Amino acid sequence: MDRLQPPVENYANPKTCFFHVLFKAAALAFYILSAIFIDSFVIIFVVTVLLAALDFWVVKNVSGRILVGLRWWNEINEQGESVWKFECLDQESLARMNKKDSWLFWWTLYLTAVAWIFLGIFSLLRFQADYLLVIGVCLSLSIANIVGFTKCRKDAKKQIQQFASQTIASHFSSTIQSAFSVV
Amino acid sequence: MSYGGAAPLHQSSQSDIDEIENLINDSVRFGPATILPARPPSSPRASIPVSSSPFVPSALHPLPSSNKKPLPHFAVPSFSAGPSPQGIATDGLGPPTNTLTEPIWDTVKRDLTRIATNLRLVVFPNPNREDPGKALRDWDLWGPFFFIVFLGLVLSWSASVKKSEVFAVAFAVLAAGAIILTLNVLLLGGHIIFFQSLSLLGYCLFPLDIGALICLLGSNVIIKMMVVLVTFSWSSWAAYPFMSTAVSSRRKALALYPVFLMYISIGCLIIAVD
Repeated sequence: MDRLQPPVENYANPKTCFFHVLFKAAALAFYILSAIFIDSFVIIFVVTVLLAALDFWVVKNVSGRILVGLRWWNEINEQGESVWKFECLDQESLARMNKKDSWLFWWTLYLTAVAWIFLGIFSLLRFQADYLLVIGVCLSLSIANIVGFTKCRKDAKKQIQQFASQTIASHFSSTIQSAFSVV
Repeated sequence: MSYGGAAPLHQSSQSDIDEIENLINDSVRFGPATILPARPPSSPRASIPVSSSPFVPSALHPLPSSNKKPLPHFAVPSFSAGPSPQGIATDGLGPPTNTLTEPIWDTVKRDLTRIATNLRLVVFPNPNREDPGKALRDWDLWGPFFFIVFLGLVLSWSASVKKSEVFAVAFAVLAAGAIILTLNVLLLGGHIIFFQSLSLLGYCLFPLDIGALICLLGSNVIIKMMVVLVTFSWSSWAAYPFMSTAVSSRRKALALYPVFLMYISIGCLIIAVD
């Protein structure tokens, strides 16, 4: 990198980033290290799944909002149907989002899922069905967040494009109108 | 969209902003509207506010606040769904918080209240029980998660041998059972929502949790059987209205029988574990 460039921006929300990574890393670390220290499967299961669930909650409610400005949830409307809602910040705020923050967000999200898959293959090879249970739960929580936020981001991009083309079209037509009215 | 991109030929009294806003409102009304970009708060820090207006173009001048339409709810989406009357107190209405502790505590409190409300709705008698639509409108999976893990822990604690297997079996049976039962209802042509049903079946475990706890403390087999019988019938009573109204009346038994079977097998597990 060119040394004369302005300094790279730092993390804008270091605390959020920290918590975002903390529970993921804790769940993975506990799972991997527990085989050495802890005898009881029940404790391994409960602690790992609890950490994974906390991580899910933190990512969905806190770091998704703050680091990338996305949010998703499910509602049941008056007719009794379930509706998935995806929300994003408007374009200006999205552009102002810290690049490092969102890089960290997405990469840790994907890497955790890959790590769980890897551990799952490991325990599959060892024929440990009960550990597969742990991994199944943690993996489904990770994948739920990945799917939710990816859909959010895609919808956000589509909406912004749609809006941009509408704006251009209506600006264009109103400019022409005003041009004709002046003449 | 009726306009098809062209604005009506008003006089130039209607400003650009209003035209564009009309277009947007139309598209928000008629379009799929799966995503709702939120208006940022006045502070430069980007946080998702609890605003209720439709998509506002940030490139134009800020619109007057009279344009706010009351859209349903931008609550904090925890693991649970559904609206929350308070919303996020920290966003959009004041300066954004700098600590993580404040909003977390609020959200946690809200989640806990939601769990308590859902529990009360499902397990205890209340006038809305017959209406499955209202029964678990704000479904959440935290309650069921805690109840399943608690039941597994109690069973595992009561077991003198093979603790891990007991826990794993209990958890797997309950989790897989809830999913399969929901699929069963869906395949029978019933009208339920997947997660709502999972949530309900999880909450109906609460009486069995209590039964397991009592059985942990006592040791007489007869007393255990009585306790399990009482709590099993309580669980079934809680689950009955929701499941039975979800399918057509001819298939009610087909939908309900597996539910009872699952709860009975858990009851037997509670009795048998020692």
